[in-house]
Amino acid sequence: MKLKKVLALAMAAAMTGCFFAGCNTTDNGGGSDNSGGGASSTSAGDNGDGENAGGGSVYWLNFKPEADETLQAIAKKYKEEKNVDVKVLTAASGTYDQQLSAEMEKSDAPTLFVVGNPAKAKQWSSYTLDLKDTAVAKELNTDEYNIYDGDKLAAIGYCYECYGIIVNPTLVEQAGHKVDDIKNFETLKTVVEDIHSRASELGFDAFTSCDMDGDSSWRFTGHMANLEYYYEEKEAGSTWTEAPATITGKYLPNFKNLYDLCINNSLTDPKDLATGGHDPANEFKEGKAAFTVQGSWEYSSYAEKVPDAKMIPYYCGVDGEEKAGLNCGTENCWAVNAKASEENQKATLDFMYWCVTDQSASEMLVEAFGIMPFKQAVESTNGFLKDAAALEANGNYVMDWATNYQPNVDEYRKALVSALNAYCADQSEANWDQVKAAFVDGWATQYAAANAG
Amino acid sequence: MPAVFYPVLVKEMIILAEDKIPTMDEPVDVSEDVAEEEVEIKETFLQKLSRFYWGKNRSSPLTKPLRKWFLLFIGPVTAAFIIGFVWPFVQGIYLSMCKFQLIQDAEFVGFKNYISAFSDASFMRSFWYTALFAIVSLILINVLAFAVAYVLTLGIKGSNLFRTVFFMPNLIGGIVLGYIWSMIFDGILSHFGTSIVQDSTWGFWGLIILMCWQQIGYMMIIYVAGLNAIPEDMLEAAKIDGASGWQSLWRVTIPNMMPSITICTFLSLTNGFKLFDQNLALTNGLPVVMEGGVGISQTEMLALNIYNTFYGSNMSARGTAQAKAVIFFVLVAAIGLAQLAYTRKKEVQQ
Amino acid sequence: MKTENKPRKNTDDEMPKAGKLSGEKKRMKALTVVFSIICIVYVLPVLAVLVNSFKLNTYVKTDTFSLPTGEMWAGISNFINGMNAGNYPFWKSALYSLVITLLSTLLIVICTSMAAWYVERVNSLFCKIIYYLCVFSMVVPFQMVMFTLSKTADQLKLNTPWTIPIVYLGFGAGLAIFMFVGFVKSIPIEIEEAAAIDGCGPVRTYFSVVFPMLRPTMISVGILEIMWIWNDYLLPQLVLDVNEYKTIPIHLQYLKGSYGTVDLGATMAIILMSIIPVIVFYLVCQKYIIKGVAAGAVKG
Repeated sequence: MKLKKVLALAMAAAMTGCFFAGCNTTDNGGGSDNSGGGASSTSAGDNGDGENAGGGSVYWLNFKPEADETLQAIAKKYKEEKNVDVKVLTAASGTYDQQLSAEMEKSDAPTLFVVGNPAKAKQWSSYTLDLKDTAVAKELNTDEYNIYDGDKLAAIGYCYECYGIIVNPTLVEQAGHKVDDIKNFETLKTVVEDIHSRASELGFDAFTSCDMDGDSSWRFTGHMANLEYYYEEKEAGSTWTEAPATITGKYLPNFKNLYDLCINNSLTDPKDLATGGHDPANEFKEGKAAFTVQGSWEYSSYAEKVPDAKMIPYYCGVDGEEKAGLNCGTENCWAVNAKASEENQKATLDFMYWCVTDQSASEMLVEAFGIMPFKQAVESTNGFLKDAAALEANGNYVMDWATNYQPNVDEYRKALVSALNAYCADQSEANWDQVKAAFVDGWATQYAAANAG
Repeated sequence: MPAVFYPVLVKEMIILAEDKIPTMDEPVDVSEDVAEEEVEIKETFLQKLSRFYWGKNRSSPLTKPLRKWFLLFIGPVTAAFIIGFVWPFVQGIYLSMCKFQLIQDAEFVGFKNYISAFSDASFMRSFWYTALFAIVSLILINVLAFAVAYVLTLGIKGSNLFRTVFFMPNLIGGIVLGYIWSMIFDGILSHFGTSIVQDSTWGFWGLIILMCWQQIGYMMIIYVAGLNAIPEDMLEAAKIDGASGWQSLWRVTIPNMMPSITICTFLSLTNGFKLFDQNLALTNGLPVVMEGGVGISQTEMLALNIYNTFYGSNMSARGTAQAKAVIFFVLVAAIGLAQLAYTRKKEVQQ
Repeated sequence: MKTENKPRKNTDDEMPKAGKLSGEKKRMKALTVVFSIICIVYVLPVLAVLVNSFKLNTYVKTDTFSLPTGEMWAGISNFINGMNAGNYPFWKSALYSLVITLLSTLLIVICTSMAAWYVERVNSLFCKIIYYLCVFSMVVPFQMVMFTLSKTADQLKLNTPWTIPIVYLGFGAGLAIFMFVGFVKSIPIEIEEAAAIDGCGPVRTYFSVVFPMLRPTMISVGILEIMWIWNDYLLPQLVLDVNEYKTIPIHLQYLKGSYGTVDLGATMAIILMSIIPVIVFYLVCQKYIIKGVAAGAVKG
């Protein structure tokens, strides 16, 4: 009887105990504790001391799904070399903001996160550490991609990228044209329409499928839309430093020019685009189409199959666009969590410094990200970024990433994607008016919503 | 909480309302004792108070030692319940009156969030859309489920197999169901140059079809149970009196089925109002149409609207989202109260 | 509640009027035929999943309803791709789903049945408060608490498959307590009192006297909880550390929503793999499931 009682008591203690067990570990702020459960993933070498004297750890909330694999490898490498835990969490595409706010709530919040534009920097103002005079900031070779929040250096642009129209020169030549002849919208249109009309005879089409599902739609509502914002910006004479409350949509007809060209001269009937299910990347790599729209971060995978792939600007029928360059910019700006513990902040800054100075690490990162604007970082091998640099050297204007200012980006884009889908299904005036409404009026309402109260 | 859990509550609330608490039922003789000792009102009151505080079985040889074990018996559930429900609920009410991006930055603003919730066009639209959906699905599901249950209880061959098949979709989760049906609808609609995420009419009826497919089997089980509980002799008497099939259905079967019908009606109503997973997986609120400069998700229901407000890009709207959630809670609870009032009225009438 | 429908059938067979009987028989046969057809239509969506899981990605949308023949045939490549799609192995999600469902159900059934017995027998003010709070919790939709609950759960490190059962116990206690209390009420207290007088402690009384009597209710409650937790999407998505742990519904949602192009064929393969165990479970435990559902809805 007695034994039973003791046993039962023990059981009771264990049961209630398990409710409060978690409390002990709540406030240590470290990313490395595994007390929550038995499934610790990176426990190798936990006991060794190595150089990790400070005891801090790094938690990087990554923003680019494409780079996830590389970053995991970087984290592992850093752990091996310096014995500091680096956790990299990659938000699913389109969910970064949501994930960031969810993670920031947590006791082991990210120590290193990505702030894409000044509006975001303002939003996270109390969470960004001033990076001025840090070792990593001193390594920068340009200030162009940094984000300031007032006087504070809120985030460091650690790489920049470009996007535009990617061409397969071999296919274009097979069709009897030359890439170098494409100098503006007119010439682009001639080539594209010619290829599309002879697609069955040539064995390939002009554009890859312009899917509008999930990730793919970003190429149009994020990247291509930039040309409209950029030319508005250019006309006004100065680049945006914060989102304007309204836009005019003056260059929307130019966006329409290029968009129409893409959807009407592709492998897939525009009516079938909404639900996606096509694979534009593979279509391009397998030589089924001569053109696609993408960014420099895909270079290595494209160059594997199409080594001479080349990137040309968004030609859309704007005056003087013969002088256009590629869309260069970044949303990849490192911010350090000001509310993280001192050890973790230090560990994070050390890690950042290592990333841009260590030869092999920067090699891996440059491979994944393109160009890293740091003194000691290795030079980029990215062909598309070289195209961008060549155009710039030639005196062409660089189109900066005004698209980063889209207010309430998810909601704004959702409406735009829907409107474009309706337009793809039936290219009527009325449907284009819907696109216009989503593009211009949507901007105003989302701006108002984002800045209310 | 799954919808399955709902109807039981209603009965409980009826009992509550009638002040007859079943679990705390006093044995009849106790109340007689009270009546006898009416002279000493004060003591009776104390007794009552004491029983209220200590429970009815205070002097039982079982409960005395049992009390000492409260940590083992009731401790885990209490602790988990406070963590998993009480605290989040209280905090949720509080946050609905705060402006916040992260909880630690919450700042009290009173009822401002409720005002912005009600003036949010997408929220109001999703309310009416949800109401329409709930009513249409309620009618369709119940009529079809009743018909199926009626036929199955006629004793046709293979009714056990049919029952098995009809119930099966119930075990498949909402997310999976959504993807299965979005494949099917898109497979059909792509031949007409549209898709479930483009055409809001199809978005609506698609979700109705999906819900019918899932829920008919469930309601059927409840109806079959109800049908089997109808006394045989009543139906036989009707037959002997020369009633036709339709007549005995309307005059005998349906009146006897009212409890089951009430349960199923309210069950499908709350299911409709609380629908989330299926909505998310099938259309995710798409398409979005610009109405007066505002993009409105055409097929977004209440629960999804709240979710999107919470976790969308506009983090300053979180207080509004929590206020919406409180409104949603009041709405769902009101349906429960309506069911309670209705059922109670019926029972009084009988 | 009886769910069998045999009695009605017997009376039909016993109907004396032979002429009418044959007419009725014909009608019954016709109904059987009609229902067989409806049944086939009813399982079509599941068959469509089966068929498309063997189809190459690009044909799923264009030829949804044809068999995967000729160039459409993908063999088992969809299954192989699906297993590794989305940077997260599917078997892990399936395993976590299983762990979470079983642990939570076990915890709920044991803890709430003990609590319900205590609540009903001791019946003090505290017990009444707990009981009515539980009942109240049943009308509260998850959206009401989702934000704050996920925050609380994270602070207490309840974000792993091994600890999330505590969240389920807290949020799912309502119905279970309610059903158990309802049943305990119907057991005469005298049996337990007799055991207590014979020298049984409360723990022993519970496990050797009350526990066996509660078994049918435990099965009903267990079934309801399994159906809920296995298919639950939003709660684990918000509470779990989804980078480390995913459940099947979360896995599917991530496949659709991220990481480049959606491979529809692979998605169908994964859906197939996730519904097969459910269907097997259903066919094996059908009797209990239908009973449990009827009990959950009608009892009170």
